[in-house]
Amino acid sequence: MSCHDHDTAKPPGKRSGSLAIVAAGDETPAVAAGRKYWRSVEERSGSPDILKAAQREFPPGASELDGVSRRSFVQLLSASAALAGGVACQRPNHKIVPFVRRPPEVTPGNPLHFATAYSLEGFGSGLVVESHSGRPTKIEGNPDHPDTAGATNSIEQALILNLYDHNRARQIRHKGEPAAWKSLLAELATRSQTLAADGGAKLRFLVEPSASPLLADLRARILLRYPKAKFVSYSSVAAEGQSEGARLAFGRPLEVRNDLSQAAVIVSLDADFLVDGPEQIRLARQFAAARTPGANMNRLYVAEPCLTVTGGMADHRLRVRGSEITGLAQALVAELSKLPGAESLAPLAALPKSPAGPDAKWVAAVAKDLARARGKGLLIAGRRQPAAVHALVNAVNVALGNVGTTVTYWAPVLHDTSNGIESLRGLVEDIAAGSVETLIITASNPVYTAPADFKLDKLLARIPNTLYWGLYEDETAQVVTTFIPAAHPLESWGDVRGLGGRASLVQPLISPLWSGLTDADVLASLLGEGDLGSHQLVKEFWRKRAVSSGWNVGASFDGLWESWLAKGVIDKTAEMPDTSVATNPALLAGTLQPLLAQAPKGEGLELAFTVDQKVFDGRFGNNTWLQELPHPITKITWDNAILISKTTATRLGLETGDFARIEMAGGAQVTGPVYMQPGHADDTITVALGYGRSGSEEFARDVGFNVGALRSSRAPWFDRGVTLTKTSGHKKFGITQDHWSMEGREPAMETHLAEFMKEGSEFHERVEGRRAPVATIHTPVDYSTQPYKWAMSIDLNKCTGCNACVVACQSENNIPVVGRDNVRIGREMQWIRLDRYYSGEIEDPEVIHQPVACVHCETAPCEYVCPVNATVHSDEGLNEMVYNRCIGTRYCSNNCPYKARRFNFLDYHEDVPSTRKMATNPDVTVRSRGIMEKCTYCVQRIERTRIDARVEGRKIRDGEILTACQQGCPSQAIVFGSLNDPGSQVSRQHQDARRYDLLGELGTRPRTIYLARVRNPNPDLA
Amino acid sequence: MQPAGMASLFRPRHNTLARISLLVLAVGGGGGVGGLLFYVRSPLARGMQDPIEQPIQFDHRHHTRDEGIDCRFCHNTVDSSPHAGIPATQLCLNCHSQIWNQSPLLEPVRRSFFEGKPLTWKKVNDVPDFVYFNHSIHVAKGVGCVTCHGRVDKMAAVEKMQPMTMSWCLSCHRNPEPNLRPVEEVTNMDWKPEGDPIEAGRVLAQRNDIHTRTSCSTCHR
Repeated sequence: MSCHDHDTAKPPGKRSGSLAIVAAGDETPAVAAGRKYWRSVEERSGSPDILKAAQREFPPGASELDGVSRRSFVQLLSASAALAGGVACQRPNHKIVPFVRRPPEVTPGNPLHFATAYSLEGFGSGLVVESHSGRPTKIEGNPDHPDTAGATNSIEQALILNLYDHNRARQIRHKGEPAAWKSLLAELATRSQTLAADGGAKLRFLVEPSASPLLADLRARILLRYPKAKFVSYSSVAAEGQSEGARLAFGRPLEVRNDLSQAAVIVSLDADFLVDGPEQIRLARQFAAARTPGANMNRLYVAEPCLTVTGGMADHRLRVRGSEITGLAQALVAELSKLPGAESLAPLAALPKSPAGPDAKWVAAVAKDLARARGKGLLIAGRRQPAAVHALVNAVNVALGNVGTTVTYWAPVLHDTSNGIESLRGLVEDIAAGSVETLIITASNPVYTAPADFKLDKLLARIPNTLYWGLYEDETAQVVTTFIPAAHPLESWGDVRGLGGRASLVQPLISPLWSGLTDADVLASLLGEGDLGSHQLVKEFWRKRAVSSGWNVGASFDGLWESWLAKGVIDKTAEMPDTSVATNPALLAGTLQPLLAQAPKGEGLELAFTVDQKVFDGRFGNNTWLQELPHPITKITWDNAILISKTTATRLGLETGDFARIEMAGGAQVTGPVYMQPGHADDTITVALGYGRSGSEEFARDVGFNVGALRSSRAPWFDRGVTLTKTSGHKKFGITQDHWSMEGREPAMETHLAEFMKEGSEFHERVEGRRAPVATIHTPVDYSTQPYKWAMSIDLNKCTGCNACVVACQSENNIPVVGRDNVRIGREMQWIRLDRYYSGEIEDPEVIHQPVACVHCETAPCEYVCPVNATVHSDEGLNEMVYNRCIGTRYCSNNCPYKARRFNFLDYHEDVPSTRKMATNPDVTVRSRGIMEKCTYCVQRIERTRIDARVEGRKIRDGEILTACQQGCPSQAIVFGSLNDPGSQVSRQHQDARRYDLLGELGTRPRTIYLARVRNPNPDLA
Repeated sequence: MQPAGMASLFRPRHNTLARISLLVLAVGGGGGVGGLLFYVRSPLARGMQDPIEQPIQFDHRHHTRDEGIDCRFCHNTVDSSPHAGIPATQLCLNCHSQIWNQSPLLEPVRRSFFEGKPLTWKKVNDVPDFVYFNHSIHVAKGVGCVTCHGRVDKMAAVEKMQPMTMSWCLSCHRNPEPNLRPVEEVTNMDWKPEGDPIEAGRVLAQRNDIHTRTSCSTCHR
C-alpha cells in the first residue's frame, strides 16, 4: 500500500501501464497495482543465492542420489532389471478371502462413514470418518455438528496417522514390568480400599480439560467415594486469562463465545482466532462468509507480536510486543470512553497507563470504527493475554452493546473453570508438601509441558504411586510407576460436548490396535468398574441420563442411542447463553489496578511462547504429516525456530539459520536456530512450544529444540530480561518458501474495497486483462458437449492459509512424507503448495495466501512434452496423470508454469510400517519411485460419484462431489463443480468480477481460477 | 579409413555373409520381438482357458444350470459395489445346513463357519492394482455376466475366458453395442438379441443410456 510497492513490473495481463490511481481529495488509500511480492527476507533483499536457486527447476541435490556412485548405480540398475525380468515370468497368485458372516452394513468395496467426535481443548468437534473394510482411512467434519459444519482443521485431518502410528505405546507397565489389565485392576481394587480409608486425602487426579458428561459423572462418583480427593484439570496452553477475565468482569466464571456472522468490525488483541482455540473452525467460516466485498464486508484489525494466520488476514495489523497489548487495550478503552455511547468506560480509562505509548493514530481509528459498529463490533483477546486484558475486552464488548450479537457468555461447559498452569500450581504445592501418595494422570504429557520451575519430573518421583495414561511412552511415561497405553480417539467409546454444550458420542472405528484403554476405563477402575469397558460405561450413563431427563426413550433405549450415533450430536443437550451479564466499570477498575501493576517489566528482550499449529503442545510431534507441513507463516517444516524481526536480528548480528542462545534473567538457557520473521515486533523473540521432545516417539525426537526450560509459571507466555547471543553453527531449515519461484510475476492479486467498488477502475481493468482467452496455436477443444466440465475456484479473500486443505489432500491421495533432508532439496510431495506472499515493508508486510495445485489447464503445457503420453486430457477436461505410463523423464514438471507437479525421487512407501499402510486410501494408486504425480481434482471421488449417479440413472448434482481440500476447508474458499451447469456454484464463481486466471497470459486456460483478494482498509489509517 | 587394407581382410564373399547376417538379425530380431508381443497376448500368457483348482470343489454347473440359482444370489454386491462379491461362508450354509449337510466335500465350509476362519479362494480374473474396475456400473448398463466371464454355467472349475487386457476393455468401451442386453437379462447365460443384432445394440445403447468413457482416469486413478 505504500509507495515503494509501485516500482514493480507491470501486471502481466494488462498493457496500459498505469499504476496506482489516487484521485486528489479521494480518501481511498493508495492501491497497489501489480504489487511486488516476495516470500522471504532473502528474496526481497535480492540475495544472490535465492536468485541462483530460482534459475533451477529443482534445488541443488534434488535430482542426485545420495551416497551412490555412478558405477554402483549402473550395477544396481542392471541387477534390478534382470531380477524384474525374473519376477515377470510368474503369474501373480492372488487370493480372495470372503467373510465368514458378512455384517449387513458392510458391502466390500464400498466405504462406510461413521459419526464420532474429537476433543483437543476440552470441547468436542464432530467428525465423520470413512472406513474401508473396517479400516478408518479419512477424517472429515460432521456437517450436522453445529460448531464445525463439516470442516476440519489440519490437526483433525492428521489424526488418522496417529491412530496407525507404530510408535504408540502397546503394553501396560507396572513398576517397570509388563502387566495385564486384569491383574492391575485387582491391585487397584486393594489399593482403593486403602485410599478410601482416609477419604482419598492423598489421592489426586491430573486430567485433561474436558466437558465430557461421562467423565463428569465418573468424577462425581469418585468424589463421593473419596471425598477428600482432588481433580486438577491441566493444559499447558489453556486460555486461563479468558475465564479469569470473565470472572473479573462479571463476578462469576463464564466462558466466552464469539460469533462473527454479524461482526462488522473485529479487533483482535493477540488472538489468532482463525486457527487457534476451540472456536477456530466456526470463526473462520463466519469470518470468510462476511468477507464478500460489498457494503457489509467486515474489517479486521490485529495487534500482535509475531505474524500469525489471523494477522495475515488483517486489514490493519499493528506489530506490538506481547506484554504491551495490555497498554494497547487500556489506550483503546480510554479512546472509546471519549466517544458517544461508550462513556460508561470512563472509570477504566482513568487507570494508570503502561509506559509504552501505543500508536495513537491506530488506536484512535480503531476506537472510532468499533464505536461506529456498535452492536456489530467485536474485541477479542488471545489465549496468551492476562486476565486484565480479557476483563477490559469484556467491559468494552458490554459497553458497545456487542453482547448477544458478536459475543455471548456461557455458564461453564468445561468441568473446571481453571485448567491451566495456575491450576497445576496447587497440585505441585501439594506434592511438594508430601500430601500426595497416589496420582492418576490422564493429562497429556505434563512432565514435558509443565513450566520448568515446577520441576514436575522430580516431584513425580517423590510420589509412591503414579499412574499415567497416554498414547505414547513419552517423557511422563518415563517417570511414573504405572503406565497404561491409551486407546486412540478412533478406537474409543466416550462422549464430548461442543461449544454450545451439545453432547456428541465418541464411537470407535476399529477395536484398539494395541489393547489401549480409555480415560473413562482408568477412572472407572477407582470405582471398581474398570472391567466394564467404556462402551458399557458410556451407554449406561446415557441411558440413565435419558430416563432422568424425561426424554422420550420409546420402545427401547437402543433406538435412541443408535440415532445419536448416526447423527453424531445429541441435540437436547444444548445449553443457552447467559444473557444477564453486566459489568460495573468503576468496580472493575478497582480490581484491575493491582493486576495491571504486575505486567512484565525489565530491560532486554521479551520472550514470547506460541502454541504451534502443527504439534500443538507437543502431543502431535510424532505425526509426520503435521511435522512436514510447512508452517502457515514461516513455511518451516520439521522444526521450530527463534523468530525475531530483521531490525533486532541486525542489531544482534544474527541472520536466518544462525544458532543463538536464549538466556533468561534466572539463568536458564536454550540454543536454537534464528529465523528472521517479517512483521515481527522488535526486541521480542517468539518460540513455539512442543518441539525438542525426548520421549520414545521416533519422529518427534530431536525435531526442533525444547523451550520448556525457559518457561516459568510466573510468566508462562511473555517474559522480560532475556538475552539472545549468537553461537556457532548454522542451520539449514527444511523450508519451502523459496521453492518454485514465480519469477517476479504477480501470482496473487488483490485490491482495496473502494477500488473494487468503483466501476471500470484500474483493478477491474487489470483483472479482466488476466481473464480474456489468450490466443493459442492449438485448436481449442469444445467441452460444452460433455455432460460435465470440471472446474474449481479458490477465493483468496477467504483463504486464511490454515493448511487444512494440504493435510486433507495428503490423507485422501496417499501422498508420502519425505523428511526434512528431502524437503531441503525440494522433494516435498504435498500436492497443494500454499504460497504465502509478503508485500510492502519487511517489518510491516501485508500477507496473502494462495493455494496452488494443478490448475488443470485446458491447453496444458505438460502434455505436449511427455514422450509417453503419461499426462493427457480427459473428455471432461481433467489433466490426467497416468502413473502406469510414466517413465519419469520429468519433462512435464519442467514445462509446468505452475510448478504443481511432484516427482517421487525415492520409493517413499517402501519402508513404511505395515500399520501405517492401513491409512492408505484404497481408491488411489500408491505411487512408486520414478513417478510424477499431482492434483487429480480427486478423480476417485468424481468417478465414484459418477458411477453411483449413473446406476441411479441421474446426473451428478451440483455440490455432490466435494474434493478433499474443499471438504476440509474451514473457510469454504474452495468450490468445485461443472461449468456446463450454468447454475452451479463454480460457474457463478467463474463469472465473478474478481476472477482471474493464474498465469492465464500464457494461454494455458486453467480450469482452477482464483478470485482476487479485496482488503477493506480504514480510510482514516490510509 | 584404409580401403586397401580392409579389402585384404575381407573377401567379396564376406559382403554376402554380412548381408545375410543383417537379414537374419532383422528378421530374427523383429520376429523375436513380434513373437514376444504375440505371446503376451496369447491365451497361454494371459492364463486363459486354464481351469483353476479351488480349495473346495465348487461346481457352478450344478448351482446355476441344474438348480437355476441366479448369479446375484451369491455374488450379491455386483449391482452395488465395485466388487461382485464372493459369498460369505454363512451364505453357503443357508442352504447347505439343510441339504448335503453331511457331505464330506463341504467339510471345509462347515469348518470355516464353526471356526470363524474364512475360506480362501484363488482369484480367477484379476486386473492390476492400478486398474479400478467397477462391476455395479456394468451391470446397471446391461453388460451380461457371460460377456466377460464366459459360460460359467458350463464350467466344472471356473477359468478365465477373456484376456482382461486394456485393449480388450477398450474394444468394448469404444464400441459397446454388440455387448449390451436388457438390464433384466444380465445374468441370463443364454440370452440372444432378437432380430438384427446391430439394430438391437443400437436400441439398447439408447435405452440403457450408454456413454462409455475411454479417458484414462475412468479406470486408472
